[in-house]
Amino acid sequence: MVWPQLSKIILAMKLTVIIMVAVLTNVSAKTYSQVVTLHQKNASVEKVLRSIEKQTGYHFMYDKQDVSKASAINIEVAGVSLEQALDLAFKDQPLTYKIFQETIVVKKKDVPEATVADIKLSGTVSDSKGPLPGVSVRIKGSDIGTQTDVNGKYNLTVPDNATLVFSFVGYNTQEVAVAGKTVLNVMMAESQKALSEVVVVGYGTQKRVDLTGSVGSVSAKGLQERPQTNLEQELAGKIAGVNVSTNSGAPGGATKVRIRGYSSINTNTDPLYVVDGVVWTEGGNSINPNDIESVDVLKDASSTAIYGTRGANGVILVTTKRGKKGEGTVSYDSYVSVSHMAKEIPVLNSAQFLAVEDQSYANIKKYDPAGWAAGNYVDDDPVKIRTGLIGKLFDSNLKPLYDVDWQKATTRTPVSQNHNLTFTGGTDKINYGFFLNYADDEGIILNSYLKRYNARLTFDNQIKPWLKVGATLNYNAQDQRTADDGTGGNNIPRMLIEMIPIIPIKYPDGSYGKRTDYPNMEGGDNPVAQANEIQAIYRKRIFSGNGYLNVNILPGLEFRSTLGVTTGANYNPHFQSGLVGGATADQANSSASISEANNTFWQWENHLTYNKTFNKVHTLNVVVGQEKQNFQQTGFGASTSGLSDNYYQYYNLGAGSIPGIPSSNYDAWQMSSFFGRINYNYKEKYLLTVTGRQDGSSRFGTNVKNGFFPSAAFAWRASQEDFLKDNKTISDLKFRASYGLTGNSEIGEYRSLANISTVNYVFGGKQAIGTQQTSIGNDDLSWEKTAEYDLGVSLGLFNNRINIEADAYLKKTKALLLNAPLPETSGFTSVYKNIGRLQNKGLEITINTQNIKTADFSWNSSFNISFIKNKILQLGESNDDIFLAPTFLSQFNLMRVGLPAGSFYGYKVLGTWGTAEATEAAKYGLLPGDLKIQDTNGDGKVSSDDKVILGKSIPDGYGTLTNTFRYKNIDLGVDLQFNYGNQIMNLTRHSGQDRTGQANSYATVLNAWTPTNQNTSIAEDRPAFVRYQTEIYSTKVESGNFIRGRAVTLGYTFPTNMISKIKLSRLRVYAQAQNLFVITKYTGYDPEVSTYNTSSNFTQNIQFYDYPKPRTFLLGVNVSF
Amino acid sequence: MKFNLKKYRISSMLLILVILVGSCKKDLVEKNKGNFVKSNYFTNAGQAHAFVTGIYQKLYLFLNGDAYGESPFITIELFAGHTTSLGQSVNNNNVINNRTDAVNPGFEDVWSNSYNAISNANIALAEIPKIGSMADDDKKATMGEAYFLRAFFYYHLVRLYGDVPLIVTPVTLNSPDLYPARTAAAAVYDQIISDLKAAEASGLPETDQTGKVSLGAVRTLLGSVYLTTAGFPLKKTENYALAAAEVLPVLSDYTLFDKYDYLHDNAHKNQGELIFQSQYKVGVVTNAIPQLTLPFNLQVGAYGDHLGAMIPTNGFFNSYDNADLRKQERQFYFSSYPNHNDPTQTINFGVHALYKYFHKESENIGNSAADENWTFLRLPEAMLIYCEATNEVSGPTAAAYAQINKIRARALLPPLSGLSKDDFRTAIWRERYHELAYENKAYFDIQRTHMIYKVGTDTFGDATSTPNEQGVTMKAQYYLWPIPQREISTNSKLTQNTGW
Repeated sequence: MVWPQLSKIILAMKLTVIIMVAVLTNVSAKTYSQVVTLHQKNASVEKVLRSIEKQTGYHFMYDKQDVSKASAINIEVAGVSLEQALDLAFKDQPLTYKIFQETIVVKKKDVPEATVADIKLSGTVSDSKGPLPGVSVRIKGSDIGTQTDVNGKYNLTVPDNATLVFSFVGYNTQEVAVAGKTVLNVMMAESQKALSEVVVVGYGTQKRVDLTGSVGSVSAKGLQERPQTNLEQELAGKIAGVNVSTNSGAPGGATKVRIRGYSSINTNTDPLYVVDGVVWTEGGNSINPNDIESVDVLKDASSTAIYGTRGANGVILVTTKRGKKGEGTVSYDSYVSVSHMAKEIPVLNSAQFLAVEDQSYANIKKYDPAGWAAGNYVDDDPVKIRTGLIGKLFDSNLKPLYDVDWQKATTRTPVSQNHNLTFTGGTDKINYGFFLNYADDEGIILNSYLKRYNARLTFDNQIKPWLKVGATLNYNAQDQRTADDGTGGNNIPRMLIEMIPIIPIKYPDGSYGKRTDYPNMEGGDNPVAQANEIQAIYRKRIFSGNGYLNVNILPGLEFRSTLGVTTGANYNPHFQSGLVGGATADQANSSASISEANNTFWQWENHLTYNKTFNKVHTLNVVVGQEKQNFQQTGFGASTSGLSDNYYQYYNLGAGSIPGIPSSNYDAWQMSSFFGRINYNYKEKYLLTVTGRQDGSSRFGTNVKNGFFPSAAFAWRASQEDFLKDNKTISDLKFRASYGLTGNSEIGEYRSLANISTVNYVFGGKQAIGTQQTSIGNDDLSWEKTAEYDLGVSLGLFNNRINIEADAYLKKTKALLLNAPLPETSGFTSVYKNIGRLQNKGLEITINTQNIKTADFSWNSSFNISFIKNKILQLGESNDDIFLAPTFLSQFNLMRVGLPAGSFYGYKVLGTWGTAEATEAAKYGLLPGDLKIQDTNGDGKVSSDDKVILGKSIPDGYGTLTNTFRYKNIDLGVDLQFNYGNQIMNLTRHSGQDRTGQANSYATVLNAWTPTNQNTSIAEDRPAFVRYQTEIYSTKVESGNFIRGRAVTLGYTFPTNMISKIKLSRLRVYAQAQNLFVITKYTGYDPEVSTYNTSSNFTQNIQFYDYPKPRTFLLGVNVSF
Repeated sequence: MKFNLKKYRISSMLLILVILVGSCKKDLVEKNKGNFVKSNYFTNAGQAHAFVTGIYQKLYLFLNGDAYGESPFITIELFAGHTTSLGQSVNNNNVINNRTDAVNPGFEDVWSNSYNAISNANIALAEIPKIGSMADDDKKATMGEAYFLRAFFYYHLVRLYGDVPLIVTPVTLNSPDLYPARTAAAAVYDQIISDLKAAEASGLPETDQTGKVSLGAVRTLLGSVYLTTAGFPLKKTENYALAAAEVLPVLSDYTLFDKYDYLHDNAHKNQGELIFQSQYKVGVVTNAIPQLTLPFNLQVGAYGDHLGAMIPTNGFFNSYDNADLRKQERQFYFSSYPNHNDPTQTINFGVHALYKYFHKESENIGNSAADENWTFLRLPEAMLIYCEATNEVSGPTAAAYAQINKIRARALLPPLSGLSKDDFRTAIWRERYHELAYENKAYFDIQRTHMIYKVGTDTFGDATSTPNEQGVTMKAQYYLWPIPQREISTNSKLTQNTGW
């Protein structure tokens, strides 16, 4: 019996190949709408099939063994459809068929046994949380079945030898033999896929198929595919429309999350985080990603409107892991990683630096002939300078003694680790979970790190059938030492480039080399010394807890009350030793400071949920609730300088000789809200959601404390309609439309008030406190309102092997909380006012395909892309331009009506003036070798009127392509990230390229203008103290397009039968490379960048010396037992 | 179904609780325990004093600036044409070469901060009279300081920008003054004079050594206002006499220092000849004058970066008589200094930097400890106002000679005598340039006299046709600064000054 087995295998293989080909090539294959005529008597099945093959062009596949069991066929049809013909031919045969494209597979029919006496069966289906309504109960091998009612009960007449199939989205399907019983209660277990099927929405959950809004979800597994210490980094690229930029290579990164664009100019555009129903006030980067069961991102207004004034930027709902009923589980997940600097930027080495200096000095006589003649530069002669440093920096031939690569010297190959230990378990009524995490993320710049210790305890108890309570306690301790938050010469990433190579890290006597050891240099300090001698530490201790109470008041009516409290203690000490910060080591340069912020937040939320199905077709879900929120911060700061000894660091501020003025602050806000939602569905076909929220917030003017935010959404599940129900191609089709109004209140506190602040003055040599009115006051200050329209479609093809989800949205923000310019004659520069309009349009497409799926090999692809267009429609009273931070050289971050927010504004560089253009250059007061700037209006001078738009910071599109392959126990994932259409403002070219002679420069200056190299846009070498040009130039604006190999993962899961011998239930090991490559034309460290993260909403892609990005290789293990 | 009484009791209890919580309209009023708001301020004398101190704080605006040397006290000096700027500032170089425009942030800095000070003065003057618990004398004197400061800032505005909006009451979002038009300079000067007269009558002390406004400061400033209004563009020549009379009492209330060092050390702040200064103190507020005025990146003192943002031209330095003490090393200027890193080495600057602003106290500690005061008014200015005003009224007088010769004697220069009215005027102007050099006086002198100092010939020439020692001839538009472009964009009622 070898042959039939083999033929089965071949059949399976053929089938696989055919399905693959069909799926990959033939989404729109033409249908063979064929007519069949058969006249057969006592024919074999094979003969009939061959006849059909000839007539239709379809191919049959079958197992000879099955077919041989069939009896002879008598058939007489003319001009019928293929299906009719086959139905008739197989009517009395033990055979059935299925059509895949042009292939018809014939196989053995499952013949039901002869029916036996029917019995009336009833029972309750429940899960760990209680009765489960809507569960499908079906007799196996038939279409006969029912659904459980709202109490999880069902009634069905069944044959007494039947087997029942219980199925429900998100739960493992169960088959239970009736075996003559009349009552059959079933306990359903949530399937692994549960959370991708059931979606957490505001104040409740919904089945994904019932969603009317746009919600993106990621499971724990999805998040952990690319482990990071920061949740936001793990979220990157997982959901269309959610743009996560990791703007720094520092441990923990400096992430920025933008959901569906940028709907505000001055107001915070960070999304709202809600963890287990409680607003999270300590920032997305302080959530331990390993504690997360799922993340659901509410994107459109119909989903977010239930969060009212805080919904406009999208809402990220985090559901944390909890204990599960069943045998206790212990799992351990861990990884160790090694990183190195992914890219080094070419800078001048010692020989090049000195050559440029020589050339610059020689050029002085061209650029300052009078000063040269007067002998002003005699002491600047490099030969004279270097001669004076023989023995220290130069040998007797004036050759440099040192040639330091500061990028190498200041970075390292750090080893990081992350360990998670989880204990979960539960009984019928109680379940618990205990989660521990230790993470040590070491940065590539010396001494920078992020360490986290996290412990979480969860507990749920079904005290009474109608009462359930639960609680979570969470403690998070996070210590971070940064290396990139200094400014000016104290900025380590800047000094990686600008520290001159001729200075050693340390001299033979052990003292640090300093840039000022070489005359004419700026005072920025040796980056290795800074990394060692400056401690910028951020300590965070978060204690949060929440408890809930669930009461089943009536069947279908549930009350839930949640109380959450979060306290955050931020302790940020800073210490600079006397060895850095000045031209010589001196305790006068030492300083120490401590700043503290202690936050307390509480939220109490109560809501009622009512579920009811009327006449079996009308399903209603109503949520009504109320919520209070209260936040308070007290802060404190003290500083000193001139410490008597470096020993004291920041532990004894009293040891400083020049104490600073202590500071403290108080900040508080409160909110009080009511909300409601009605979900209605008719036969699972037509779905309607209406929500509303009334918010009262302390932040607004006395005239407008309360606002109302409604939304409505409608969805049509076309695939549930009769005409699509049995469609072979389309397995799921849903259209969604929504509209909603959301608000944004994140302007901070006290913005509507006429504040009087203190300032310091001096009388009689002593501090004198003054006060000033610092804001004009606006009693009408109200919410920013964003109206959003969303049209969405979900399409599942070929039994959902291809899933496409697409959403188009239009977001119009009006009554912008604009920090609108005021005439300064008022005494105030601006006022927060509801004025101005902004628009975001976008399209988001997600395509998930299961390209290959066999027992041994599978290949899945996931592709998402988001297109975005942002436009300013209106600004202040007179629509005048507004410039946002940062201001660097000039105001360049332009907000102008008609343009995308965050456009770059400056001069266009046409190149350099050539020798032949000396006369022309002279008109602009310039010489050949100077930069040639476009005189846009042709008025013969270059002034601010000649500035033009040089680019924009917002991309046109971005997305991710992930391919996952699995062969037996081996899995391979390749995750690509892409981004295009934006520019990057590379401000570093100001000091790294525009000028030479006071710091080190980029190697690009080797292409400077010379009489023989005139075709360049880099000015001739000359000391910056004699002459140089620097402005916001087009030469600082670079393309932000890139493709990144974000992660490549190779994993191996040990077979269960192997590991069960050592009492394990799961064991997986994997190796991963993160940030493996970046394809880009951008010349800086990484095109995903901003060094002004906190200064305004539109600082993405503006950089002045960023912390370089690492390339990381990690080894991980997941164990459960 | 069994009816569970207990269940209903609990749930109805909860329902009631929800309704209670929901309906209890807990106030959404913002509480800020760290700062006042206007509605709960001005309840006692202490608050009034603090608010007026807040106006003083705006005096810092002239020293505010950045690491490029774009600081108003430098910008004002660059307009006079005797200063080079070796720093990295594109804007400074544009000013020097008469290529700047209305978007130069320096123009907005002065405008914005001055109006902010005026706004706070308006609030103080409107609110202080309403404070019931404050003594009348105290009210009067406190308001006197506010009047002086309002006049002080308007005086800067009207000279720098010409016709400027005159606002004398607090502005709110609903007030008509939110979008004001420009007021004729003459009316602005009337307000300045009236404010200074109110200050003069408010019972302030003759002198003050703590840094507060004194009667001497009021009189010197009013004298300067009268002198200015007697010149271009108002040409109210009758004000010369008022100027002389105004400053006369000052001449005896203050005394010249023996040493120029005292002008920039910590021990003599607000004393001797110093009439009005902005106040600095290590640990409270420091300034960057030494860093800004030292030559570029030479290790003179521990100032880290040395910016060379305000360096006198050689031409101006050479215009001093060789015998002039002020020209000698480490009097007003210096050209070499021991290297901070290695004091055995001497650094030769190649230029003459301003020793006038060198701060010995901080040379070893650096910027964080630089706290010399910035001088707005000092006795030699009052003396020279007196000389110039009396000369215009009655020609050279003995009293006038006496005053100018005190200044010259201190500089080891021979006394003047027997000059014609014109020659005496020129001598006074020259003395103003040399004595008050780089103290933000020269540009205002050019405005009111329409003459600039020709350093090579030691004479005066027409301001818009005489090239300065940097080869730049001042454009007529440079008699005024432009109205900041931002203000024109924001307020359609404003017009731009001619030429800008």
